[in-house]
Amino acid sequence: MQQMKNLTVEEKNQLKLERLQSTLNRAYKSVPFHRNRFIEKCMLPENIVSLSDIERLPFMNRSHLGLHYPYGLFAVPLRDIVRIHTAPGTGTNPSISGYTKTDLMIWQKLVARSLEAAGVTSMDILQINLPPGLANWGRDYKDGAENMGASVIPNSPLSLAKTLMVLRDYKTTTLVTTLAFAEQLMEHMFENERNPNEFNLKRIVLVGEPVGVEQIKNLEEHLHVDVWLNYGLSEIPGPAIAFECLHHCGMHINDDHILPEIIDPVTREVVPPGQTGELVLTTLSARAFPLIRFRTGDMARFTYNPCECGSSLITMDWLAERADTMMIISGIKISREQVIIYLKDALEASHPRCKLEKIRHGGTEILSISLVIDDSLFSDEIKNLEKLMVSTSERLAELTGVPVKITLTEKKD
Amino acid sequence: MLRIKNLKCGYGRIMAIQGVSLSVRQGELISIIGANGSGKSTLLLAICGLLKTWDGEILFKDNDLKGMSPQSIVRQGISMVPEGRQIFAPLSVMDNLKMGGYTMYRKGLKKQVEQDLETIMDMFPILRERQNQLAGTLSGGEQQMLAIGRALMARPSLLVLDEPSMGLAPKIVEMIFATIQGLRQEGVTILLVEQNARAALKIADRGYVLETGKMVLQGSAEELLVDDDVKRAYLGKDYGNFYDGRD
Repeated sequence: MQQMKNLTVEEKNQLKLERLQSTLNRAYKSVPFHRNRFIEKCMLPENIVSLSDIERLPFMNRSHLGLHYPYGLFAVPLRDIVRIHTAPGTGTNPSISGYTKTDLMIWQKLVARSLEAAGVTSMDILQINLPPGLANWGRDYKDGAENMGASVIPNSPLSLAKTLMVLRDYKTTTLVTTLAFAEQLMEHMFENERNPNEFNLKRIVLVGEPVGVEQIKNLEEHLHVDVWLNYGLSEIPGPAIAFECLHHCGMHINDDHILPEIIDPVTREVVPPGQTGELVLTTLSARAFPLIRFRTGDMARFTYNPCECGSSLITMDWLAERADTMMIISGIKISREQVIIYLKDALEASHPRCKLEKIRHGGTEILSISLVIDDSLFSDEIKNLEKLMVSTSERLAELTGVPVKITLTEKKD
Repeated sequence: MLRIKNLKCGYGRIMAIQGVSLSVRQGELISIIGANGSGKSTLLLAICGLLKTWDGEILFKDNDLKGMSPQSIVRQGISMVPEGRQIFAPLSVMDNLKMGGYTMYRKGLKKQVEQDLETIMDMFPILRERQNQLAGTLSGGEQQMLAIGRALMARPSLLVLDEPSMGLAPKIVEMIFATIQGLRQEGVTILLVEQNARAALKIADRGYVLETGKMVLQGSAEELLVDDDVKRAYLGKDYGNFYDGRD
């Protein structure tokens, strides 16, 4: 797929405007949620006559996805849907997104585009290792890499030792994983005195969270690889929304398919060029599940330096801070509110007092919950209490897609 | 080459086109597909200057076409093959072709007109065979070839075709599409409006789906060919129940 390389600025903007307008027409026609929001603003899709007019439209956020569970935001009839993905969401309902055949085709190309930018070719062997919470991305990377002719070892739950065996014996050249797993792998290798030169690994594509320069350097030096960062959304619509190219000059956003904006998370106004703010995305080609001004919660900044790769895609810096209260564990976004809602139900406590933290245990990132034990929770049978904690953490782990550890702490008066 | 932004137009109070944007780049073959009454032909009429008033922006080679007469738009390089051929039935085939070369002739390029006549008759040998026959006596397919030939006589940089397959037998349609594809390979930029979505997309680079005066979909021909929406647009059917077929 062309990266709009041969297009002039006007041609590129024309293409984006055409796609934006037809996205809005489709959303207005087929999704009552979007139609009602237009009506509330006394607007019609045809009132959007330029790219900047998008600022007149209201924002979407993760809570909208849960509120319209399961199919309320789909813009095509169910019979056109060929894949349905689930993400944890932020409230009581998960977020469901759907894809038509064309959507999947476009995503495959976008994933392939991001892999090609990292130097992956059809000669590469690509291994995917992602936690259950990012399993959707695993499928997208598999499809994208297969589409470009690479050999793919799909995501499957394997022990660390087994993963390492596959990595070495199958002569994997490219590993798609999270920072947490890459670091765990590195530590395991060194603990077991394995030399990175035993492996054919040339590059690691990191997904799920912003990664600092130091962490990248550490991985590159110890594993003798090049590290590339990909930006994606686990809810929608996929993993390769932005990617680094060979020149590592920031992340190229696939803005021919997803229109990015940066807003001030407080005033909700679009910030001046080059300033930091929350990344807001609008899909330009998604058929089944259009997003209009979706607030990602991720903080970013557009960079305007032309990249040596010649791509005309917008570039951004992906920053570590967040515009919302979500935590990122093993690349998976966890909503604190959702965890607390869940705890309330499971423990039948009206206001469970707890502290949520990300900890590392045996190389794995874990959601640690220190729960203050009070009269409503207390049971004279330790066994019962233990059972409750185990079952709660198991179900929370299923919900969030990351391991959960609950510890009880005493009430401090 | 052609860039349309937020085009709105219609007939009296009926807005047939409600804010359409579309673009054709040099060397591309673009198909616009849509059901009956979706506004496809109206869009072409606006481009060719046959519709007097419209809102929005139509740029051809960076020149604004607003207010231009159909003749000056032809001089700019846009030639149209109208729906239903509209050849000059009482004139001979040769005279029809010469009429197409009128703008060239007026520019004093008589030699080129002669050359073009030969090229076109090489391209469509049947027209050479019947050059002295009255155009009205040609079969539907032959008339379509004549209409295309006539448009090409103006040496357009953008050839606009409105429903070239209409009323033709499937075999002839195939031939006409092969001709269009051939023109494209020779470097002619083409904007094709068709109800026969499948055939039109098979030869196109990109496509647009028009529905009741609004653009609802666009993409590469390959993407659109697998899209269920396109099948519906072609059939002119609207969405059924959301759960239709999956109850």
